[in-house]
Amino acid sequence: MAFYTLGLTFSIVIALTVVVLGIWLYGLYFNFKKWGLGSTGYTAPLANSFWLFIATWIHEAFKDGIWVFIRTLVLDVFLLRRTLRRSPVRWVMHMTIFYGFAALAALSGLGLMMDILEQPFMSFLGLAHQAEIVKESMALPFDLFGYLLLIGTTISVLRRILLKEVRDATTAYDVVLVGGVFLITITGFYAEWMRGNAFLVGDVFSNTIYAPHFALIHTVLALALFAFILPWTRYIHVVAAPMTILANRGGE
Amino acid sequence: MAENSKPLISGFLMGTQLLELNGCTRCKECMNWCPTYAARPDRPEITPMYKIAKFRELLDSQYGLRAKLFGPKPLNEDEMTRYTEDSYYCTTCGVCGTVCESAILTVELWEAIRPNLVARGNGPYGKQNMFPKLVAADRNPYMAKQEDRLCWVPKDAKVDESGKIAYFAGCTAAYRQQALGVATVRVLNALNTDFCMLGKDEWCCASAMIRTGQRPLMKEHAVHNIDALKDRGAEKVLYACAGCLRAATIDWPRWYEGYIPYKNMPLSVFLREKIRNGDVQYRRNINYKVTYHDPCHNGRHLMHVNGRDWAFEAPRDVVQSIPGIQFSDMARSRELQRCCGAGGGVKAGIPDLANDCAANRVRDVEGSASDIVASTCPFCRRNLMDGRNLIKSPIKILDVVELMAQGMGLDVTIPENPYTKFQEQDTIVCQDVCKLDTVTQKEKTDDIGEY
Repeated sequence: MAFYTLGLTFSIVIALTVVVLGIWLYGLYFNFKKWGLGSTGYTAPLANSFWLFIATWIHEAFKDGIWVFIRTLVLDVFLLRRTLRRSPVRWVMHMTIFYGFAALAALSGLGLMMDILEQPFMSFLGLAHQAEIVKESMALPFDLFGYLLLIGTTISVLRRILLKEVRDATTAYDVVLVGGVFLITITGFYAEWMRGNAFLVGDVFSNTIYAPHFALIHTVLALALFAFILPWTRYIHVVAAPMTILANRGGE
Repeated sequence: MAENSKPLISGFLMGTQLLELNGCTRCKECMNWCPTYAARPDRPEITPMYKIAKFRELLDSQYGLRAKLFGPKPLNEDEMTRYTEDSYYCTTCGVCGTVCESAILTVELWEAIRPNLVARGNGPYGKQNMFPKLVAADRNPYMAKQEDRLCWVPKDAKVDESGKIAYFAGCTAAYRQQALGVATVRVLNALNTDFCMLGKDEWCCASAMIRTGQRPLMKEHAVHNIDALKDRGAEKVLYACAGCLRAATIDWPRWYEGYIPYKNMPLSVFLREKIRNGDVQYRRNINYKVTYHDPCHNGRHLMHVNGRDWAFEAPRDVVQSIPGIQFSDMARSRELQRCCGAGGGVKAGIPDLANDCAANRVRDVEGSASDIVASTCPFCRRNLMDGRNLIKSPIKILDVVELMAQGMGLDVTIPENPYTKFQEQDTIVCQDVCKLDTVTQKEKTDDIGEY
């Protein structure tokens, strides 16, 4: 079935993507600029410089050498060692959300690239057929990483509901983020299932009429989260936490 | 930045520390370990997670998107006063940093936020503002004379003017817990270790100033002490005070521009070397159950500088080398130990909080079924004694080196001196058998007490 429905066209999707990326990058720049207010050293004055922040971060992250940086990157950023030490359940939750989300974002980007290759103006490359094959082969990883994300977001929602100490500390921010990610995941699954080509459920939930609606809701929510929430709220921790871990070389 | 309002930040915070404010994931792990929150469970706002969230909110009100679009909001001074109080309800023990999933270096962060509060006129808290005045006037916080720095050294003890090994005693051992100083000198003499002391040239390590955000005096003291140690030809400097050790290892070098030729070493590490070399002759059994309290300043604060072995194992090895001692660890030990509650200026600024934290730690000691808790920090010792008194526990608090001195059968009698009347410490007195006792302060002082 056609992907671009409900008034969406390839051009609109490309334009939306560029706008979202632009807002997201500006959001990152804005935060880096804010962090750049800080000094470059213990006794140094305030710097108020984007570039000096970058330089300070690099200096701190590589202070103990490249191998410490790589070790921290692998063990503490990619494998979340510090989280594992404190709470295996939270570790599973973070790992599944992080890798599920990151893989789906990457696959979405790859899918968009394949779409571009299929456009008439790219026909001179003659890769439209191969692009279609790649897109079809992405169905399985899309589903697998989707389930991974679903496991993580489900744990996250259940923790918020079932654990008193977590429930008591839950704020509106948490509800928006946890609920938002859960909603994005669920609508993504619905859209996929309704298209009738899902990995595990096949065409059991096939509904070609409403599938585009869910796809649209899913896309709009994901883009909104990416552009309008992550860089501008405390969810910038998605970027700031790994940067902190690296700057502090794994911490204490 | 809002007009007609002092800036929220005027320096001190590094760019990577502002990044840390956004790195907090609100996992709440710090709240599970925070010793002050355990003592004040009705005040979550004093926990690291909330303090970071609040400072981030304040920062965003001045430099965030809204401030960029519509201008910064004037800082609400009542809010700043509340935040200052929350900020100083912290012993800077660092357990939050140890368990932080985002690897935030919390001690450094608190010590960078506090000077900004001081610069705004919000900080420090309570009697903490007396530190710089007292230390600038007398070079120690006890209103004591510098010439009396070595007044407690026994006449027959051998202390050199200069030498490769130096013992930096610290203000508390010199004026308030002289049993520690005497035991250290006696043990070093018994081990035939030639060592020097700075005497009147030893100035306060200024740790309390850094911990409470009052930095200006630090440079003067750091430079003076380092130069004095260099002048005496020191190659190895021993510390029996965790606070001094931390300041000398981490803080002083930040303020000193020249080369520092000597190595800082916890006394327990030096003593363990001697024990391992077979230089220590024990003559007496110390038949007590003993546990060990890891001082934050020697443990968590230095474990990444000196290594876990120096930070945690050396003092335990020394205690366990003493014949007769039955050693057991507390449930919370090493990098996850519970702070005694004295650090970060809390003892001076919020003494009841310090006592409640100490009481919790004494309960930890009771949980290990020990008679004695040994430590390597005079501040911890003082505060644990106060916590012990608060809950009327029979636990005694001693220093590792005092236990060792008694095990070696050394005479640790403190010579009469102008500060005898201010002594307040648990003691272990051994003749045929060892007895635990408490020396009670006979005279009250006008100084700020311990920090």
